[in-house]
Amino acid sequence: MRITPANAAFLMLGPIAFFVLFFLGPFGLLIAESFLRPGGGATLANYTSVLSDAYYWRALFNTLLISLWVTVACLLLGYPLAYFIVFHVRWPWGRRLIYVLLMTPLFTSNIVRAFGWIVILGRRGIVNSSLLAVGLIDTPLDILYGKLSIIIGLAYILLPIMVLSICSVLQTVDRSLIEAARDLGARPSRAFLAVTFPLSLPGVTAGSIIVFALSVSAYVIPSILSGGRVMVTSILIFQQYVATFRPDIGATLSIVLLAVTLLLIGTYLFLFERRLRMVG
Amino acid sequence: MTPDVVVVDRLVKTYGVVRALAGVSLEIRRGEFIALLGPSGCGKTTLLRAVAGFVEPTSGEVRINGRSMHGVPPNLRPVNTVFQQFALFPHMTASENIAFGPRRQRLAIGEVASRVRDVLAMVGLEGLGGRYPRELSGGQQQRVALARAIVNRPEVLLLDEPLGALDLKLRKRMQVELKRLHQQLGMTFLFVTHDQEEALAMANRIAVMREGAIVQTGSGAEIYRNPMTRYVADFIGEANLIACRVDADGGVEIAPSGPRLPYRAPTTGARQVSLMVRPENVGLGGAAGTDDIILTATLKDKVFVGSTYRLYLVIADGQEIAAEPGCSSDAERLAPGEMITVHWRKDAARLLED
Repeated sequence: MRITPANAAFLMLGPIAFFVLFFLGPFGLLIAESFLRPGGGATLANYTSVLSDAYYWRALFNTLLISLWVTVACLLLGYPLAYFIVFHVRWPWGRRLIYVLLMTPLFTSNIVRAFGWIVILGRRGIVNSSLLAVGLIDTPLDILYGKLSIIIGLAYILLPIMVLSICSVLQTVDRSLIEAARDLGARPSRAFLAVTFPLSLPGVTAGSIIVFALSVSAYVIPSILSGGRVMVTSILIFQQYVATFRPDIGATLSIVLLAVTLLLIGTYLFLFERRLRMVG
Repeated sequence: MTPDVVVVDRLVKTYGVVRALAGVSLEIRRGEFIALLGPSGCGKTTLLRAVAGFVEPTSGEVRINGRSMHGVPPNLRPVNTVFQQFALFPHMTASENIAFGPRRQRLAIGEVASRVRDVLAMVGLEGLGGRYPRELSGGQQQRVALARAIVNRPEVLLLDEPLGALDLKLRKRMQVELKRLHQQLGMTFLFVTHDQEEALAMANRIAVMREGAIVQTGSGAEIYRNPMTRYVADFIGEANLIACRVDADGGVEIAPSGPRLPYRAPTTGARQVSLMVRPENVGLGGAAGTDDIILTATLKDKVFVGSTYRLYLVIADGQEIAAEPGCSSDAERLAPGEMITVHWRKDAARLLED
């Protein structure tokens, strides 16, 4: 059955309508809002006040720094895991089991998992109790309610995404390429660095971008695990709507956050675009 | 320097219950072009990979230049492989692919560059070093794969059905190229193929394999003229295999009740044997020499094959043979259904056990 362009356009109506109504529309409203004065009328004042305030820059810096650390952590933990799954798990059911174990945490809510981390990282939590019991420390460590706990909490949630992203690309690496590298004199580690890793970069990049973007926009984990001590932009935005009742500032902050993130991701892709094209 | 560059000594490889190699022994002489020939699953690729180091033998040993390769990984063996699907690194240029081996050997940059240039010229790809594999045609990719292997000057070049991915015309051209390269380099080539024409065209020596064992080795001409078993006769070239019965005192007649033939079979051997004769040795008409075997047959079908006619004949008791007589003008006059006489020289045929 051939789908004519007319049919295709008709089929697309639903998704396009949904997209316009629930994404482009609100997004447009948000942009408009950021240029509004509280009493009405257009202004750039929101942008000037946000962009000149060190407090907002500090929050943005925290957001980006935390997101960077989360991405790095997910890479460092996720790549070896993905490699193990693809190259060292013999049985298909073993692989599926690991995927299930990875995905299961995603079925519980973020809030529940954040409180889980409070239990683990708190002064009387599992980590501190064990370290005290073993005698490695004298007084409990202050892990919770700081940047570290936010990073741990976010990395935990976003790790499966990184692993799956890398797995899906790693699986496509032709084993005969690795054999060829070995045949030509490369040690297993050299074969990995020269062949396997470069070919897995699209998965690394895709996973990194998704993890970074989700970290930047995360709200629940940072707000619960920060204990009020760490300010990230998403919490600030929330406050504008709930506490200070300045939706226009909230909108401005959102647009600024979006613009900065897009800029960073765009730069990253631009720098690596040549490399990525090679692999295709 | 040992005369045999590679010695395969009673190599056995089992995968669970499957015996991929059933105790194979082979000596590969320095500088020769030897082909492992057989159908899929006969073990030829397993044998090649055992020499390369990708297959760990269950028992038995591979020795290269007298040194046992037991436990030696592929990167430490003085051999290089040309893979069936080329296995070119897609994220590197042709030159970078070729430079991979020399760089592992820690050669000076200038030395690496000049070697790469030389070998590119040798395979006819000068100036194309900067291209990526996806920017090259199948034939060009083939040559890069070849260059990448030979630039390392291995003791033995292992080729795993490298021409399989090419179309017919290109394949024929590459066969000639490979033969020329072999003569130019003086390197030992071990070549795996299922195509008997390819093996006959390129190799000095052929090892015919079946179900994990080598059943016959020899030059193409030797194997063609003197196949030792029915399997080999059937695999190499075209062969008529006439089923025959051996009676108590070694006399042979066409089964089940056909005319007696002046061959003798050992009395202690099998009761059923095949008489092999190649179609091009079956001539029309009565005998020319005193030793010839003459049979009457009915012409079933006649097919023009360019240089001559291929005649499908039914001989005694319904067995069919094919004949490709040299002179096509005689064959032209014949029509299906005719009774004709054919003959062959006695020594042009041989008795084979099944």
